Amino acid sequence: MNRPVLQLEKLGKTYTLGKRTVPALSNLNLTVTAGEFVAIMGPSGSGKTTLLNMIGCIDKPTSGQILIDGVDVTDLPENQLYKIRRDKMGFIFQTFNLLPYLNARENVELPMEGRIKSKTERTERASKLLALVGLSGREEHRPQRLSAGEQQRVAIARALANDPAIILADEPTGNLDSQNKQGIIKLLANLNAMQGTTVIMVTHDGEAAHHAERMMLLRDGKIIREKPGTHALKKNV
Amino acid sequence: MRALLVIIALGFALAILVSIPAGVVANQQAASRITSTLGNTITQTEQALNQTLNQITCSLAPSFGGFGFTGSGSSGSRPSGGFGGSGSGGYGGYGGFGGFGGGSVAGEFGAGAFGGGRANPMNETLYSNINTSISGVAAVEPILQVSEGKNETVSFYGHSFTRLVPQYIIEGVPLTSNLVDNYPILPTDIVSGQNLQAGQTGDILLSQNNSAYFGVGVGGTVNILGTNFNVVGIYQPTGVEDTEMLYMNLSDAQTLTNNTGYITSINVYAQSPSDVSSVASAIGSLHPELTVSTAQNELSALEKNQPSSNNAVTAAQDSLASTNSTAIEEIIVVVAATSLIVLFVMLYTVRERTKEIGTLKAIGFSNSTVMSQFMLEGVLLSAIAGVVGIAIGVVAAPRLASLLLPTVGRAVGFGGAPGFGLASTVTVSPELILIGFGVAILLGTLGSLYPAWRAAKIKPAEAMRYE
Repeated sequence: MNRPVLQLEKLGKTYTLGKRTVPALSNLNLTVTAGEFVAIMGPSGSGKTTLLNMIGCIDKPTSGQILIDGVDVTDLPENQLYKIRRDKMGFIFQTFNLLPYLNARENVELPMEGRIKSKTERTERASKLLALVGLSGREEHRPQRLSAGEQQRVAIARALANDPAIILADEPTGNLDSQNKQGIIKLLANLNAMQGTTVIMVTHDGEAAHHAERMMLLRDGKIIREKPGTHALKKNV
Repeated sequence: MRALLVIIALGFALAILVSIPAGVVANQQAASRITSTLGNTITQTEQALNQTLNQITCSLAPSFGGFGFTGSGSSGSRPSGGFGGSGSGGYGGYGGFGGFGGGSVAGEFGAGAFGGGRANPMNETLYSNINTSISGVAAVEPILQVSEGKNETVSFYGHSFTRLVPQYIIEGVPLTSNLVDNYPILPTDIVSGQNLQAGQTGDILLSQNNSAYFGVGVGGTVNILGTNFNVVGIYQPTGVEDTEMLYMNLSDAQTLTNNTGYITSINVYAQSPSDVSSVASAIGSLHPELTVSTAQNELSALEKNQPSSNNAVTAAQDSLASTNSTAIEEIIVVVAATSLIVLFVMLYTVRERTKEIGTLKAIGFSNSTVMSQFMLEGVLLSAIAGVVGIAIGVVAAPRLASLLLPTVGRAVGFGGAPGFGLASTVTVSPELILIGFGVAILLGTLGSLYPAWRAAKIKPAEAMRYE
């Protein structure tokens, strides 16, 4: 059994809307071990994004505990949380969120700035990562000169920049056509299979979710069902 | 595009910021120049008059001799003319209008004799009895003074007059050894060459202005009304001499101007200051047609004028004070405006880039990194604007300063006179450029502080927003 990279214990989160309190997550337990590919599905308002924000250390729970790579981050202040995000997490967004005035390589270098002092080292690493996601020769292109699929590949390379414990993907195929969807899901699946990168993906897309090892269905802030995906079946074969 | 507009707007603000102190400095210089000019004029005239307390000036009342106000531009300061009109004679009383000389203090001493046209010629032989029949007379100096220049028509109370704008004034004085050696008939401050000597003819002494006007120096030759003269020396006017006056032998001047046997005034020297009043009244009864004035009269008239000069100095200082307070108010407004421009532009930028900032924070940027990034951006923007502003300021400071500040010159009426115009003297000094650039950076820092702090406080969850 691999070591756990994420442990959620009795996680709860309520939002206050005026005088009403709205529960978003309640009493949620989840353990993800290193090298897993987890898909979280659920209808709108089921708490998917809230859960992802908790795991990504960009929002705090009202109750329960979060351990990332064995470190309790539940009560860490912001001046330490940013380091967890930088060193342990890789974010992939639905809208790619590349900086428009930086080229592909500079976008990938961004998260390394606080960690790797040498500029040449950062450049080398960024180029390697871009090659890994299939973008050799596109390093100097700015986002607007790349297709949507290519932009998301740059974003994946950026998420890998600091060799994170977990890649958090928020609807990574939400803004892509079917061909690019396939490519991105395969890329994530390959990274997971070849590099052993842990991936936690929130998605509406059932087909995409089937590539994961574990599929979880979230409703009203609770995990109501869990089943293995096709990726897991392949792995077993 | 937006950055460009902001840089231009900030640039103008900073240009104004640089121009105001430049204008204040220029005003201070103008005020001290006015003060010292007036001070010098008064002191020098007093000194000169004190030296000539024995002197009595006699001339026929010139018909419009009193129109000293037209003499404004000449910056003449010879006292004799300006007060010449104060004696008897129908229109002589207009001499008092000398003070209207375009608001110029120079006009207060403005000379009737050469400011308002030619003095009436006097037959020299008719007045030879002054020397012989009046007791207490030490010496008599007949003078021929002729202005040469362009005619110009001016109107005054609905009447138009033709006046002469003098380019130079010929002063013919008798170069006898007695007068040259013992009486102040020639200028004393010779700056190059030498003074006229007794008995010289064909020689000429020029003022500095004459020398520049004719383009000739000591040892050169100058053609006056068709006759060549050797320039023996150049003098600096001390306050009693007119700046355009050139000196030559009386007989030369008479021949030159077809005035043989004629003069325009007589200076009579009494044997002692106590004889002056009796000699003056004796001349008056012997020749009632003459206007007789004494240096003592002139001194007291000058002293009467002192308060108006003092007022001009006070006005200059008051104006300077109001310039300073206006400058301070304007600087406060511009500094506030500049900081607000930076503040709002940066706030807008932060708002517009919320998602980008959220992303940066999600991928591991610390609050302080985000904050310093935005500070840097604001400071950079202001620094570029600073360079633009200083460039505009260096070019446009004179115009901006005169638009924005009350000027000392205008307040005391020196505005029109050459040398007192403020515009030409407003310059942006290197120190001011450095200070201006520093202020630009400082305002950029201040203006970016709050927006940068706002940027740092943006939640990383903002990166998840869909647009």
